Amino acid sequence: MDKATNHPYDELLAAYSAGSLPLSQALCVSAHLENCKSCGQKLQRLNRVGSQLMQQLKPARASEQLKNRLLDSLDALTDEAAEHEPTKVDPSVPRCLHQFIDSNYNDLAWKRVSADIHSVELCRDSNGAKVELLKIKPGGSATTHTHLGDEYTVILEGSFSDEGGLYRQGDFMVRTDNDQHTPVATQDRECICLAVTEGPIQFTGLVSRLLNPFIRRGYA
Amino acid sequence: MQAMTKRKAPSDKLAALSACMTRIANDRDKSAFAELFDHYAPQIRAYSLARDPGADLVADDLVQEVMTRVWLKASKYNSNLANLNTWIFTLARNCRIDYLRRNSRYVTEIDPTDIFNDMEDEGPGPFQMAQQGRAEESIRAGLEELPREQAEILTKVYLEGKSHQQTSEELKLPLGTVKSRVRLALKKLEVLVVR
Repeated sequence: MDKATNHPYDELLAAYSAGSLPLSQALCVSAHLENCKSCGQKLQRLNRVGSQLMQQLKPARASEQLKNRLLDSLDALTDEAAEHEPTKVDPSVPRCLHQFIDSNYNDLAWKRVSADIHSVELCRDSNGAKVELLKIKPGGSATTHTHLGDEYTVILEGSFSDEGGLYRQGDFMVRTDNDQHTPVATQDRECICLAVTEGPIQFTGLVSRLLNPFIRRGYA
Repeated sequence: MQAMTKRKAPSDKLAALSACMTRIANDRDKSAFAELFDHYAPQIRAYSLARDPGADLVADDLVQEVMTRVWLKASKYNSNLANLNTWIFTLARNCRIDYLRRNSRYVTEIDPTDIFNDMEDEGPGPFQMAQQGRAEESIRAGLEELPREQAEILTKVYLEGKSHQQTSEELKLPLGTVKSRVRLALKKLEVLVVR
């Protein structure tokens, strides 16, 4: 799956490296990184920038008291993280999503959005952003829509195309609130995406525009 | 002979610190741990105070979290794969993210643990490793030569932990300008050239 041709832009990757990215966006970057070697190499260099910046700070003296307290605590420490049971999650699911997915994508409580699309909400971030998985059936289309906020998408399985081109497994993209787009899944298989939307989606078709008040309510 | 005493070159210092990690991993050596504490605790405190000036207790908590992980994860640390300074930075960053999540006014349902695990099990190949020492040096030199306004933005993002949006509000700059300054700085530092 190391074939992604659409990557997080550099300043987004830097914010991820700095730890200053909202966690919902970091989730998308992480899902992309797990299978993108070139972004992984960039990230290592960006981490080095952070390390150098930290080293350039004027050191702030730590007390002997703190040191002794830590030294005294060492013998009693156990690594809770190391005691985790082996995962039962399907290996095709990115590790950063294991917190939401117990086994595989099929077992999730998918809800019908339209004839072509099912979705399942995974969680909300502190900034109100909605984190969800979208499943588009083979050849299916998402209604033309714009966003009130940015939308971050990573393709987990399958592929789709929109006005911007063809996107494959691992591809990462950001749509801003001005972009209007109509994703269409390719015919060969269904497409599953991780999507983070910062504000409600606005449908722009004549009939579906009537849906907007109801959808917006979901963000209240 | 005092005039002859030189400050240790950064690479010697780093090698000595890396050796401490091995002593902890193999022998649970507490004096090695104390040596790492003496070097890194003031850096970690400075990193915390950059975000929360005056919050000494928060800074001490961060030191405690990071150094605890150093002790527990020493056996997993591989100096052939990751530079120790960089490894410590990523631990400090991850601990700070945890802390902010636990203490935020705004609830997030997202657990960062599995998001930021980049340094723990993957590393560069031997070829990148050979270049790593040089990369450290060139990033250090590059940071010194950055125009002030670009260095300022990197400080906001990396040390103060500000999002692009917050940085733009604090510096009264358009969001696009913040992003392009980050991009320009990274370009100058040549960190994004994938060889």
